[in-house]
Amino acid sequence: MGHDITILIGGSAGQGIQTIGSLLSGICHKSGLFIFSYDDFQSRIRGGHSFHLLRISNQPLSAPNILPDILVAMDQNSYDQHHDRLTDRGVVLLNGKHPDDPKTAQTGSQGPTGAGRTLHLNLEELAKEAGGKIVANTVAAGAVAAILGTGFSLVRQEIAHQFGPRGEKIEKMNLSAAERGYEAGRDYPFDHALEFTGSGKDRVVMSGARAAALGALAADCRFFPFYPMSPGTPIITHLASFADQVPIVVEQAEDEIAAVNMAIGASFAGVRSLTATSGGGFSLMVEGLGLAGISETPIVIINAQRPGPATGLATRTAQADLLFAIHASQDEFPRFVFAPGSVLSAFHAVKKAVMLADKFQVPAIVLMDQYLVDSAMTEPKEFDLGDAHKPFLQTDAATAEAQVSQGETYQRYRFTKEGISPRIPPCTGAGLVRVAGNEHTVTGFPDENPETRNAMVDKRFAKLGAMKQAMAMPSVFSADSEFFLAGWGSTRGCIMEACLTLRQEGINVGWILFEDIWPLNKQALTDLLAHKKLVMVEGNATCQLGTLIHSVTGVDYVSCVRKYDGRPMYPAFIIEKVRQLQGVTQ
Amino acid sequence: MKQSRFDTQHENQWCPGCGNFGILSAMKQAFESQNLAPEDLLLVGGIGQAGKTPQYIQGNMLHGLHGRALAMATGVKIANHDLRVVVSAGDGDCYGEGGNHFLAAIRRNLDITLLVHNNQVYGLTKGQASPTTALGTVTKIQDNGTTSDPFNPVATALAAGASFVARGFSGNTDQLKDLIVNAMSHQGFAMIDIFQPCVSFNKINTHAWYKDRVYNLADTNHDPADLAQALNLALDQGTDKIPTGLIFQQEKKPFHRRLAPLQNQSLVTYPFNPKAITAILEQG
Repeated sequence: MGHDITILIGGSAGQGIQTIGSLLSGICHKSGLFIFSYDDFQSRIRGGHSFHLLRISNQPLSAPNILPDILVAMDQNSYDQHHDRLTDRGVVLLNGKHPDDPKTAQTGSQGPTGAGRTLHLNLEELAKEAGGKIVANTVAAGAVAAILGTGFSLVRQEIAHQFGPRGEKIEKMNLSAAERGYEAGRDYPFDHALEFTGSGKDRVVMSGARAAALGALAADCRFFPFYPMSPGTPIITHLASFADQVPIVVEQAEDEIAAVNMAIGASFAGVRSLTATSGGGFSLMVEGLGLAGISETPIVIINAQRPGPATGLATRTAQADLLFAIHASQDEFPRFVFAPGSVLSAFHAVKKAVMLADKFQVPAIVLMDQYLVDSAMTEPKEFDLGDAHKPFLQTDAATAEAQVSQGETYQRYRFTKEGISPRIPPCTGAGLVRVAGNEHTVTGFPDENPETRNAMVDKRFAKLGAMKQAMAMPSVFSADSEFFLAGWGSTRGCIMEACLTLRQEGINVGWILFEDIWPLNKQALTDLLAHKKLVMVEGNATCQLGTLIHSVTGVDYVSCVRKYDGRPMYPAFIIEKVRQLQGVTQ
Repeated sequence: MKQSRFDTQHENQWCPGCGNFGILSAMKQAFESQNLAPEDLLLVGGIGQAGKTPQYIQGNMLHGLHGRALAMATGVKIANHDLRVVVSAGDGDCYGEGGNHFLAAIRRNLDITLLVHNNQVYGLTKGQASPTTALGTVTKIQDNGTTSDPFNPVATALAAGASFVARGFSGNTDQLKDLIVNAMSHQGFAMIDIFQPCVSFNKINTHAWYKDRVYNLADTNHDPADLAQALNLALDQGTDKIPTGLIFQQEKKPFHRRLAPLQNQSLVTYPFNPKAITAILEQG
């Protein structure tokens, strides 16, 4: 039976609330529990209000929860904003002096162990005793560990793990801070059924950003040109951290247009390249996307979506670029679009995108979003190398020279049945590699002849059949359900949890979840969806996947749950909406 | 024009009498004189009449988007800095649409040769003002005369820290050929701004107009190692004379030497290292 606890840690930017979360998550992970964490923050470096959500369970988690059992309010504002969402059993740790007690105190009608009580802790005061106000967050982490009853040795271990590398002085100060917090919190236990006695050694806690970065490395991507833009930046930050271990180049471009064109240049020269951005940067990259399309140069773009248009909500989340990603650029060419639904999926989707882009010589887009990039969750250690790194590019010029010896010139765009021409890097021998963004002949010379144009468009689209075969069908749960929650990308885990909860309530609902988005296999999808009632669950205002499914298969959705407020999709939100929709679907 | 192994069979689409022909000829001569073969060369082009240049030269070619040739060349050189890259772009392409990339490529000291065909007008789009068009010039669009001051590419390049800056003239192919050879042997960003007449749309800066004004810096006591002198030349608007030749050159670490993994080999030549990647994956 699954038990879970949600901790909401609120404060202003600069108070180190993520550190509290990461200490607690480290403790829980190492004692065998599963975690899911999410950061909700504003577009500012100091002040304002941010919060970190940490959900802990003895069963695997795939979604966050917004209803806290433990609210850690680093300031009064955080208390004011979140205390009315406390669960029935909820308790509060509030930073600041209690009005009646200069040191610490608890309030609430039910005594130190009752629900709804507030433990007042003057965190800065305790931190100063430990060596500096800066460790107030570690005091809070210690206090929460005590409230959870983790035992202090786990805390000590995690402090050593996280602060040890930063020197003895810093580690000691944090340990002292944690001790003070733990002391203060130990008389206020929170009753729960979780045990901190297991081991997380076969599992890993990872963010979507890091998983995407690992996927790129596993697929032998070596060049990462980018221009900073939230929420795409963390993916590149993770990649940069590996630059001393493997030969990769992370280059901050002068703008996103440069980034995508650099990726094309490097890919042309034989190095797999990937860039990450958000919708605004992706908009700037669109002409380059088309260049990759017509020049048949593989590139991968990760669009970590945020609400738009224009600046929109810079640090928030959205799923509103699906149709844009599929249609971006003038005219038509084949491309891949993926939308991973979990941290582990992000790893596999990026790996697959890089591999397939190279195999088919097309651009690939991976749609993530702020929610997936900034969420960390416990995943099984299944981040395997695989064989996506194996090259399709022929590096030894043998192809070209063989052709030359037959009296031909190397043809970069040679017609083949599959539409894929053997690709070699430039300057590797007698075969001249000529690549153009103009419509071109087989040797890459610009040509306006209508027959050439038709032949080249047909050549590029000849890849489409095999590209569709490379795409996984959506996953279907409980295929004979009365209706289905249908969604795509990062909301996968929320939809699954909502679905399972609704089924426990006796509602006959299944799910249909898409991760490999484009190109869609029309016939297979039409067969799969025939006679199914779809309730779309999407992070946009117009049901973009529903629209796409309808346009491809003719299957229309019966209703939709939409969320476009910039905040993540929580299971509770879906559950409530679906209950309201019951009249429509039954 | 004499035959060259860099000739292509494709029809040249430039207007008869275009200054581009002089540049094309100087390029081929420069490649020949370095004993290069077509397979040794990567020609990168932007969009515009100048951007078409790589089509008319036998060699490897990367012909991309308007304004973005330098960005693509940056990616190429990061992937494989051993490639010999010559970028051809026009004044609109390089200084207008691609201005940001121009500055960034200089700052990186990217090890390439950039030839800017500067005819002070947009040719392929039929005669609009370019960034280098003189203030007040009347065009079909700017029919009361242009209203922006002209861009000074040489002064801008010097101010941004370019390590090789030269000016050529399409009417002096011997000098231009030598400049291209020097530019290609320079370690770092080598730019030649090349004045050329546009016979179709620029009725002011004609071949004769240039002929009356150009002089060769090699015939003067100009010292290309002297940045102040170079800037003075670039900023001197008082005389009606146009200096051509090498304006400035300094030694400066090229971009790939600034990147740790590229010190001993190019990025593309590293074998994939499954052990190192697996270690990273296992560490999580």
